[in-house]
Amino acid sequence: MIRLTDRQSLDATWQPGKLVDTFMKVLVPIKRVVDPYAKVRPLADGSGVDTTGAKFEINPFDEIAVEEAVRQKEKGAVTEIVVVSIGTSASEEQLRKALAIGADRAILVETDAVLDSPGVAALLKEVIDAERPQVVLMGKQATDDDNNQAGQMLAAKLGWGQATFAAKVELGANVTVTRETDTGEQTLSLAYPCLITTDLRLNEPRYVALPGIIKARSKPLEKRAPSTVPAAKTRTVNVELPAARPAGRKVGSVEELAAAIKERGAL
Amino acid sequence: MSETLILGASFLCGTPARSFTPEDFSSDEKMMIDTAEQFCRAEIMPHLEAIDHQEEGLMPKLIAKAGELGLCGIDSPEAYGGLGLGKNLAARILEFMSLNGSMSVTYGITSGISQVGLSLFGSDEQKAKFLPALTSGESIGAYALSEPNSGSDALSATTTAVQKGDKWVLNGTKMWISNAKWADQFLVMAKINGTDFSAFIVPRDTPGLTIAREEHKMGLKGSSTARIVLEDAEIPLDNLLYEAGKGHHVAFNALNIGRFKLSSMSIGPARNAIELAAGYSRDRKQFGKSLSEFGLIQKKLGQMAALFFVAESMIYRTGALIDEAFDLYGGTIDGNRKAAEEYAIECSACKVFSTEAEALIIDDALQIYGGYGFTEEFPIARHYRDARVSKIYEGTNEINRIFLADRFQRKLKAGSLSPLQADSWIADLAIKALHMQLDGQIQVGAASDLILLAYAEQSSRLRAAKLGDEGQALHNAAVPYLHLKAAEAWQLLTDEPLTLPKVEKVDYEALANMVHHNNGPVRFN
Repeated sequence: MIRLTDRQSLDATWQPGKLVDTFMKVLVPIKRVVDPYAKVRPLADGSGVDTTGAKFEINPFDEIAVEEAVRQKEKGAVTEIVVVSIGTSASEEQLRKALAIGADRAILVETDAVLDSPGVAALLKEVIDAERPQVVLMGKQATDDDNNQAGQMLAAKLGWGQATFAAKVELGANVTVTRETDTGEQTLSLAYPCLITTDLRLNEPRYVALPGIIKARSKPLEKRAPSTVPAAKTRTVNVELPAARPAGRKVGSVEELAAAIKERGAL
Repeated sequence: MSETLILGASFLCGTPARSFTPEDFSSDEKMMIDTAEQFCRAEIMPHLEAIDHQEEGLMPKLIAKAGELGLCGIDSPEAYGGLGLGKNLAARILEFMSLNGSMSVTYGITSGISQVGLSLFGSDEQKAKFLPALTSGESIGAYALSEPNSGSDALSATTTAVQKGDKWVLNGTKMWISNAKWADQFLVMAKINGTDFSAFIVPRDTPGLTIAREEHKMGLKGSSTARIVLEDAEIPLDNLLYEAGKGHHVAFNALNIGRFKLSSMSIGPARNAIELAAGYSRDRKQFGKSLSEFGLIQKKLGQMAALFFVAESMIYRTGALIDEAFDLYGGTIDGNRKAAEEYAIECSACKVFSTEAEALIIDDALQIYGGYGFTEEFPIARHYRDARVSKIYEGTNEINRIFLADRFQRKLKAGSLSPLQADSWIADLAIKALHMQLDGQIQVGAASDLILLAYAEQSSRLRAAKLGDEGQALHNAAVPYLHLKAAEAWQLLTDEPLTLPKVEKVDYEALANMVHHNNGPVRFN
């Protein structure tokens, strides 16, 4: 385990003698996304999605990461949680929510640039180089573009071990991560520092308690400018609705079903 | 917060310079509202059967759970475990906690009227002793004003309090006490020596206090309603709230705020009814088409959403005014009283309009469900039964109408309003009505209708102006209804012929699409 001597930003609630006897900083990157339950339409020119009047949320996988960090802190395994977002000042709303859930401080890397996954990884690496957390905990993917690659790219850039799709996380002398795979549970052991991406099964995020929301108002939220804005390696050519599915039909029996499938050449 | 206070009832003195709308809540406040909504949808709505059967211990458990999230003392003082936040925010949170009527009443009473009397009129010692258990949700509160022979005529109460040594001895029966079954403390109105109307805090374990059997109600079956009997019930002298003989301030100011909050409570179930109707009208197919493709169903969905929009516009406009008055005057008992009274007219207008909108919305939702809506297998029947009492309690809508016009005329006589000035066709009729010699309750009620409809129309219009096309479409759909109600009231005042003003054409198909897109009332975030 990395032992840091600098405990200046140590959280006041941390008590020695719990699960960890050292400073354990977890950094959680979060993304502002359109409410995944909202119905959105593509813009008329196909350049993106019309978000007028839409509600925004923390990417649900990232919220699971925040929740996990807070639970680990409540267990005494973590001393400080830093949440980071990249975007315009609108993302402050999601950072405040993460603070309300229980993160200690927030960093907004302020840019209005359109970033792809390599760009996100590059900007997060800058923050991580400065913050030096022992663990980065983030969603496996964002519900808006469903790329599932920023975490992996970031771990590669950092040269850290990574465990993706975590269903269970234990922070001890090493990090133990359980992943649910098609063939059963896989358990990984990682050395610090490492990066973990979260799956849906890891936990169920709590309701944000009102006193937490009030407390979050006075927690630090720092804005930083990125040193350079990475050029996107991919660009969106067109966004359109999925083609409407042709209406199905009801069949009366298994035989009829089998015949219908054959008819379509699927069997 | 504000440069100058917008005075109570000044909505008939032209268009105000500013007007709060639900979209104006801060992002922090919206996060709190989200918590309430998520809590209600996940913890309450899946358990409506168990709630309606008053499953042992369930309701207190749900209240305690809400309390853990900080939901039980939004607008009570921080020093006593509350959050010290505004009444408007508390009302919006209450709306989302009110998707089910039974929960709405239980939560509404314990987080609202059972605390507001203490918050506004309690001494520091009383607040320290009685508030924290309520704000944390560990205890449940109740409010006991009505009696078997004293309902709307509240001051005719016959419950008595007599001082004996260092105790008050209370005798009498209180009726329709919400939360009676699980309340830990009651705010009881009684007359000292049979004459001086006063407010007392009576703990549940007081010897001589008994809870009679549950009322067998038509709706709100999951909420507790029972009479309480006081037979030589002895409480400490310190449990007299505010001053002897000043109980009417406690009772009625709690009711002013209570009426305002009841408006939020009534549109919570209406919201759920619109959601249900949106879903059902999309899924149910007849003649090979979804119900929502039929014009008359689209018209209903559009009207439901429009009425909801108007009620919402009035309620949160009023709540912001109340908050401003508390910011300006609040803090002392007299200041609190002044603040709670300033918008009594608006509070009554919200109560009457919202509860009547609730009834219309739920009735239309049931109609969309057709025969299924008439069965208990489907969720609309419960709303239909639950909603009926909204027009009755916290002052019947009839009492509120009399009160509203009476208050307005008193304000006019006192000269405390700047000159009346109409900014709409309805406001013009309302002002004319106020200058008439009103003959009897029917005409007073008609004048009240014109006043409250003017407030409704103005609130909706001001909100629509902020919101662009969708807001405007909702407002335009509400206007013909408001005009017709105004015309109906006008005909009770005079036999002069009346021509309805020209209105914008309403595209009900577009409105129905908006309702479907939002899966309920249109949200503007």
